[in-house]
Amino acid sequence: MPSAAPLTARFVVNALAALVLGFLVLPMLAVIPAAFNQSSFITLPPTRLSWRWYEAFFADSEWMTSLANSIKVGSLATAISLVLGTSAALGLQRLGGRARLMLTGLILAPMVVPVIVTAIALYRSIIDIKMTGSLAAMAVGHALLALPLVVINVGVPLRALDPNWHLAAAGLGAGPWTIFRTITLPNIIPGIAAGAVFAAMTSFDEVVISVFLAGYQTKTLPVKMWETIRIEFTPVVAVAATLLLLLAVVLFLVVHLFTPRVAGASR
Amino acid sequence: MSGQGRGLRLAGVAKSYGSVTALRQTDLTVEAGEFLTLLGPSGSGKTTLLNLVAGYVSPDEGQIFVDERDVTSVPARGRNIGMVFQNYALFPHFDVAGNIAYGLKVRGVSKAEIAERVSAVLALVQLDGYGGRAIQQLSGGQQQRVALARALVIEPDILLMDEPLGALDRQLRKIVQLELRRLHEAHRRTTIYVTHDQEEALILSDRVAVMHDARIIQIGTAAELYADPVDAFVAGFIGESNLLPARVIALSGGIAAVEVPGLRRELCARAAPGVAVGRSARLLIRPEHLQTDAAQGITGVVDQVVYLGELVAARVALETGGALWIRRVGDKVLVHGAKIEVGWAIEHLRVVAEASGGE
Repeated sequence: MPSAAPLTARFVVNALAALVLGFLVLPMLAVIPAAFNQSSFITLPPTRLSWRWYEAFFADSEWMTSLANSIKVGSLATAISLVLGTSAALGLQRLGGRARLMLTGLILAPMVVPVIVTAIALYRSIIDIKMTGSLAAMAVGHALLALPLVVINVGVPLRALDPNWHLAAAGLGAGPWTIFRTITLPNIIPGIAAGAVFAAMTSFDEVVISVFLAGYQTKTLPVKMWETIRIEFTPVVAVAATLLLLLAVVLFLVVHLFTPRVAGASR
Repeated sequence: MSGQGRGLRLAGVAKSYGSVTALRQTDLTVEAGEFLTLLGPSGSGKTTLLNLVAGYVSPDEGQIFVDERDVTSVPARGRNIGMVFQNYALFPHFDVAGNIAYGLKVRGVSKAEIAERVSAVLALVQLDGYGGRAIQQLSGGQQQRVALARALVIEPDILLMDEPLGALDRQLRKIVQLELRRLHEAHRRTTIYVTHDQEEALILSDRVAVMHDARIIQIGTAAELYADPVDAFVAGFIGESNLLPARVIALSGGIAAVEVPGLRRELCARAAPGVAVGRSARLLIRPEHLQTDAAQGITGVVDQVVYLGELVAARVALETGGALWIRRVGDKVLVHGAKIEVGWAIEHLRVVAEASGGE
């Protein structure tokens, strides 16, 4: 009944909403002009615009290595968490009452346990198996954090599946693997895609575990940013931040393009 | 006519979930080409029986045969049984043709043959040209026919239908019932149909199995169930009925003498099995067997009149204390407040045992 509300009340509500949104979004967007600053310090608003720091970013082999590391770790972590997370979601769906509740809690634990605790525990174990400084170890750590997000995202379309579809397909002669491939998978793909984006972003964004596990040659982008901002504080950090932001926007747009097909199907 | 499809036999099949008995030990034979309906209220075990035949649940004891093949431990995908679900369970990510083709694709049928059989079955259910439609574009009645086509196209040995018309409005339900009857008469595929609607059961079936309290209490043609119900539950579930409390005084040669307090008199009538001397029973009088022009009737006053189109139903409060429902075609005597004489022919009365459920 928004039309029934007095005009002034509606104005106040809208203004408040705009303020909150601005508070959330503006600090993030501030990195974009900061990255185009000509001067050697991060200042807002920029005094003169230039591509200078973009050139510096792409010319610097250390930044390029860290970007490549992030992409490698991110891809591997996403792959690991997708396979494990989707399997876990499917398994949880088959469990009854109490067992499902307990196992769900266990799988979602990395979301609740402070990341620093997870990081230290991982660090200790990784030393034991002599994998410190490896990208693979970092990917495993990131996959641990991303796993709950995949389980949650895949669980949503999974719960919307009609159990009778499964029975109907079995009655028509399909075996369990055929049913998964032709009935289950096509209907949970949007959840898997959303899970993949959350997993990739979790990995790209992760600092705490990465700081513990990174070696000299295996710094990821956020680790390199963290080091840089402590030493030089040049706008090149803003460039890295802008690129991360761009990646997030692009990934979420891609998922958005996936979802309408299914939303349309269930209409 | 030899039917398409095969016969079914259940031997001592039973199923429980924990402490809940879903189906008591049941024997059942369905002839090849027969249309059998499982009729009963919800929770009477009819869907459990259907799921056991389909292979979706396995029995705790007993065996299931399709013709002479023991399929008790064969999973659903190996049974070649077509199922139509109450909510249709159509796959939303396939179009109409994709849904119908599913069972054929899984069986590795060639593309050309799939196309041919899909269009043939679409014609059978009168949906020619609908193959490319999305499921969401179809009405409830059309979805129901797609579900039927999907089950029929695999040429099942037995067709199972679980309240398939439950989601349709009354008008459409009538049309589809006649359509199903026509299809069955044309192809005589063995069919087991589940419903709680007695009218639907009578229209569709060769035989009806009335279920109550996790067992089949009576099985027979519509006429048999109607004329000789085995107990008060069947009598009350099939057709309209007056079931007056009665006490059995004597029993001999299938004829019971009963005392009926509501009529304040003693009567003799044919007794159903399970009726015993000294036990309480029910006197069954069908409303359409009551006459308003009988010579030696009981006097009563019409205190409720319901018009049912060609029929008039009226409740008559008897001066002996009981009340009877009566149904007549165009009887002018049945007006509110009228004092009338109600009578019956003795051969139409039955004495039946109290409902056996809940023992």
